[in-house]
Amino acid sequence: MMASAAVICLVLGVICGQADGSGAVSGFFGANAHIILYILMFFVGISVGANRTVFSKIRQYHVKIFIIPAGIVAGSVAAGALCAPLLGLEWGQSMAVTSSLGWYSLSGVMITELGGAEMGAVAFMSSLMREILSFLLIPFIARYLNAYTTIAPAAATSEDTTLPAILKYGGAETAVMAVFNGVFCSALVPVLIRFFMGLGF
Amino acid sequence: MLILAIMAAGALAGFFLFPDKRLKWSERIQLICTCLLIFSMGVILGGRENFMDELLSLGFRSLVFAIIPIAFSIAAVYFLTEKFLRGGDKRK
Repeated sequence: MMASAAVICLVLGVICGQADGSGAVSGFFGANAHIILYILMFFVGISVGANRTVFSKIRQYHVKIFIIPAGIVAGSVAAGALCAPLLGLEWGQSMAVTSSLGWYSLSGVMITELGGAEMGAVAFMSSLMREILSFLLIPFIARYLNAYTTIAPAAATSEDTTLPAILKYGGAETAVMAVFNGVFCSALVPVLIRFFMGLGF
Repeated sequence: MLILAIMAAGALAGFFLFPDKRLKWSERIQLICTCLLIFSMGVILGGRENFMDELLSLGFRSLVFAIIPIAFSIAAVYFLTEKFLRGGDKRK
């Protein structure tokens, strides 16, 4: 339900954006999308806070709470190393793009500044695709793998846009882990991009 | 940081006002907001001047850069969580 709704909304949005010659509609959504995000986050907070047993469970994990972001970052950077020879790119650029971890607004701007408009556009679109694909994959991951792995495709977006899907299919305990993961990954994204873009090979 | 503060405010409201309840109405509002957010993402993307050109020329490369990191992240997190966290609270 969530995945098909996500695709329909995206396609409708793209059609609307394409048909909007004056740019007024895309300008409106560009300026106000964050308000929808704030409302969403408030209600996600309510759902998480209403589940009191979650917090005591999270406390018992200690250092293990870093396992999920560690897996996501290691997997994404390793994927960048594989993508470089596949697509004929420099290792640093490739690993910088995969270190975007789905944060399209930041990575698009940062990689455009550091590596040019074309790599910036690739970072923007691949991050956006990562987010959209996450909506499609989360229900299947919850069903066939395990609840925590629903956080893996979402990466840095697990604290905001993909969080409702993680909450729905992974449960409240996973949603709390997702918030921690999203905060941690978001803090790492600018550091990783700068580091890999600076490698120069 | 503002996003986290807003979510913390929601969590406090949930913690004190609706203890230990599964809130269907809250889930419904979340679904509506998520759909609106994805729609606005589409509008912003579709509104980019050279969107179609970008999609055609860089689309394949971008897709590879989305699919492989997702696959590797899933594999790494699945392996680590099965080994150290026992997979989380399976609900379905």
